Amino acid sequence: MPDAQDTELIKRAQAGDPAAFEALVNDSYGIMFKMAFKWCGDRTAAEDITQEACIKLARGIGSFRHDSAFTSWLYRLVINTAKDWFKSQNRHPASDMDQAANIKAEESAPDDKILMQQVWAQIQILPDGEKEALLLVVGEGLSHKEAAQILEVKESTVSWRIHEARKKLESLFGKEKKYG
Amino acid sequence: MDESALKKILDDIEVPPVDENAQKRAVNLAVAEFKARQNEKSQKSAQGTSFLSRLIGRSTPERGRNEMKMSKGFVFGGMGTALAVILVASLNMNSEQTIQQSMMPLASEVSAPPGTAEASPAYVAAVEEKNEEALDKALRTGDSAIPVPIEAPTDRLQLPEQQIAGAEQPSGSGGKNNFSDIAQNVTESRSSISGLMDMFGGRGDVDAQESEADDGMAVAQLKKDQSVLGRVEAEKAKESLARKAMMNAPEAPAASSPGEAGKGMVSSSETSVIYPEPYPYPQPVPVSPPDYYARPYYQEQGRDRFPQYTPNSFKVAQEEPVSTFSSDVDTASYSFVRRELNAGRLPPAQSVRVEEMVNYFHYNYPVPESKEEPFQPTVTIVDSPWTAGRKLMHIGIKGYEITGEKPHSNLVFLLDVSGSMDSPDKLPLLKNSMKLLLDSLQSDDTVSIVVYSGAAGTVLPPTKVSERSTIYNALDNLQAGGSTAGGAGIELAYNLAQQNFNKEAVNRVILATDGDFNVGITDRDQLKNYVAKKRETGIFLSVLGFGQGNYNDDLMQALAQNGNGVAAYIDSLSEARKVLLDEASSTLFPIAKDVKFQIEFNTAQIAEYRLIGYETRHLNREDFNNDKVDAGDMGAGHTVTAIYEFVPVGSASARTVDDLRYAQKLEEKPAIEESASDSPFANEYAFLKIRYKLPNESTSHLITRPVTMQDQVALQKIECGPADSCPASASDDTRFATAVAAFGQILRGEVNIVDYKLDDVIALAQDGKGADEFGYRAEFINLVRLAKAFENR
Repeated sequence: MPDAQDTELIKRAQAGDPAAFEALVNDSYGIMFKMAFKWCGDRTAAEDITQEACIKLARGIGSFRHDSAFTSWLYRLVINTAKDWFKSQNRHPASDMDQAANIKAEESAPDDKILMQQVWAQIQILPDGEKEALLLVVGEGLSHKEAAQILEVKESTVSWRIHEARKKLESLFGKEKKYG
Repeated sequence: MDESALKKILDDIEVPPVDENAQKRAVNLAVAEFKARQNEKSQKSAQGTSFLSRLIGRSTPERGRNEMKMSKGFVFGGMGTALAVILVASLNMNSEQTIQQSMMPLASEVSAPPGTAEASPAYVAAVEEKNEEALDKALRTGDSAIPVPIEAPTDRLQLPEQQIAGAEQPSGSGGKNNFSDIAQNVTESRSSISGLMDMFGGRGDVDAQESEADDGMAVAQLKKDQSVLGRVEAEKAKESLARKAMMNAPEAPAASSPGEAGKGMVSSSETSVIYPEPYPYPQPVPVSPPDYYARPYYQEQGRDRFPQYTPNSFKVAQEEPVSTFSSDVDTASYSFVRRELNAGRLPPAQSVRVEEMVNYFHYNYPVPESKEEPFQPTVTIVDSPWTAGRKLMHIGIKGYEITGEKPHSNLVFLLDVSGSMDSPDKLPLLKNSMKLLLDSLQSDDTVSIVVYSGAAGTVLPPTKVSERSTIYNALDNLQAGGSTAGGAGIELAYNLAQQNFNKEAVNRVILATDGDFNVGITDRDQLKNYVAKKRETGIFLSVLGFGQGNYNDDLMQALAQNGNGVAAYIDSLSEARKVLLDEASSTLFPIAKDVKFQIEFNTAQIAEYRLIGYETRHLNREDFNNDKVDAGDMGAGHTVTAIYEFVPVGSASARTVDDLRYAQKLEEKPAIEESASDSPFANEYAFLKIRYKLPNESTSHLITRPVTMQDQVALQKIECGPADSCPASASDDTRFATAVAAFGQILRGEVNIVDYKLDDVIALAQDGKGADEFGYRAEFINLVRLAKAFENR
């Protein structure tokens, strides 16, 4: 999605052009779904969350102010939707079924795979703040500053949360040779 | 755990590909919302859309459940309403307004009652546009044209069922049974609508009374529903007329309903499309309500898999004097046969394993007194009831029964929650079975739950049985969906069992599934090896099979055999009770492993023999003394019965093959007079050897016993005066086991038993019924009666 075209689409959508909006949602669906899935690790839930987020996007597109990347804005939207969704479902992603995701099995030995699943399952049950910081910074490769903007917290908070999350994971899984 | 490692993990998470239909649905909804927003920014128009998204969007079972939590006691009301809505909405009756109201509590998130906020014209336009596209497409493809802006009809088909599933949650356990009964009735009966309505009308009454004390709101709700039901009853006649009209002239309902449809904007079942205005189409295609019950849950047929084998045939004792086999305490085959017969089908011959049928029942063989020698053999010889001149040799052993303190258990439930488990006889039965099993455990035993569908995950970390509510919660939250990655699940389960390994306890993974492993370690042998390897570390595996249509009996058996465990088939809650509660100690606590039998026949006495059943348990002669060869296991109190049919020397007419011309002829050999009379074995038919290992040992022990003429008794009960003057007669157990073996062979269509009829089986079983504490034997007799329906086909 080249940014210029993207910006153009967004502007047209903000001006009320349904075709532009439809194209925008279609373009963004994949990113949103991926984010949602990483948040909850469950396909059905991710589809629900993404759908809800798309509807929110329709309501909220006007409030996007072009001062940050659109994808960052989408991340924020999806994360908020996911949190709300789980609140409304009255459950935590991991409490129901921490569907440890489909880790690519072929390239790793069974033991590695199990470890990865366990790490992934632990990430799932991190506190929301730590999880979202970790997903954005480590998962999506954003800088602490960008993540801070998206999450609307101080940069130092993001750094702290990531530190905390890593500490927890480390205490659980130790400094495995393969992973650190 | 540094960042690059974490990143690798996060990157390696395989996000499933975007589902096109889900995307389209989301985009359509978003665009509709967008248009509505753009044109009606000042009005509160969005409510309609959030309805739309909630009602026709992906309404997950969780969501339904959540909503139902609010409406405790609405169970029947909700269902009645759902039915009523299907009925009435599809007919566009003028009772729609009433139904409107009764649906309200279901849509818990709705902020304003439907109908009060009119949809904006722009929104209507958006819906119309989508619907027109759908109609165009339908016209092109010849599909049905239900004017809904979503793609696959599956969501709509599922909706009523999801409500049912959701409704199950909030009701008490008593209600639950009731309810699932009803649900099953509904799904199975496929009867006329009026039949359904009657049923729910009746049930609704009962429930209304029960819940009155419960919740005032609920009562009000129920009353509303009742009134709806009443109206529906009263208008039955009209309905049928209206339906006829609908079939004949599709325009009629559309023409007659505009005003109503406009008011009753939202309803909840599959017809819950928003019709903000009169139908945009002149010809909506009617969908008849019973269709929604046609395939109400996951059903599959004809894909059950069983191990292939051919029934044992007679062997000439002189050519092959030794017979070797492994014990088998599985009972799966009997349950499966019972299920098929009860369903009015003849079970496939391959699914009948005679030894599992015989071993399903308990026999009162003498019990050994010490754990060190866990069983002693009982041998009985009777005349074969189905062929004159042949005899049957019953070999029975009963495992030592644990008295006093039971060992502790570290159990990991590995539960299949894949899409195929979504059926009343699978996941719900599984949950209830697991709860039964908890009752037979001690409070400080630990239980954990791993589930697998598309992926595997831990639902319950190791938890003490005393924290029952935690375990119940975890079980109750399970739901079916996705594919079946059994392989990954097994690894996770063993991992968990290992983490919590207790040397003093029984460490066991209990796998419950309908038998499919189509993701993960799919290679059968690899799985078997994995299970066998884990067995060495002290973690055993038992298998509980569920469901029918896709049951992989073959793999389940193989896994249980390699995991030192039992394979049982759970077809009903009473079977779950038998396996998990009444026989819990047999199921859970092994007293001996690698139990092997070897019988050497005395060729001077026995001409031919065959082992009835145990085809899948055959061992080679040399395997008997080889402790490395795995064999069946026995739990506390298990009984194992093996039956040989043999032809004694001298009864030429009963033989199956002729003697060889150039070999020494048996009949001519003066068996008794010459060689055998001086022989110390003259009195012996055969010599029985049993090898076993104690659970924690790796070398085997041997038990031996000669089978002599003194073991021979009469099969029939002999009524006579003083006991000591009577000829010895066989026990009830022997008669009954013989009857079961006969039934199994008849079901398999074996040639050796063609003259024996099911009536003979019934008579013999009646004779051997004994005390029959739990009614299992009576049930067997009923099964034979059921099978009679097929006898002459």
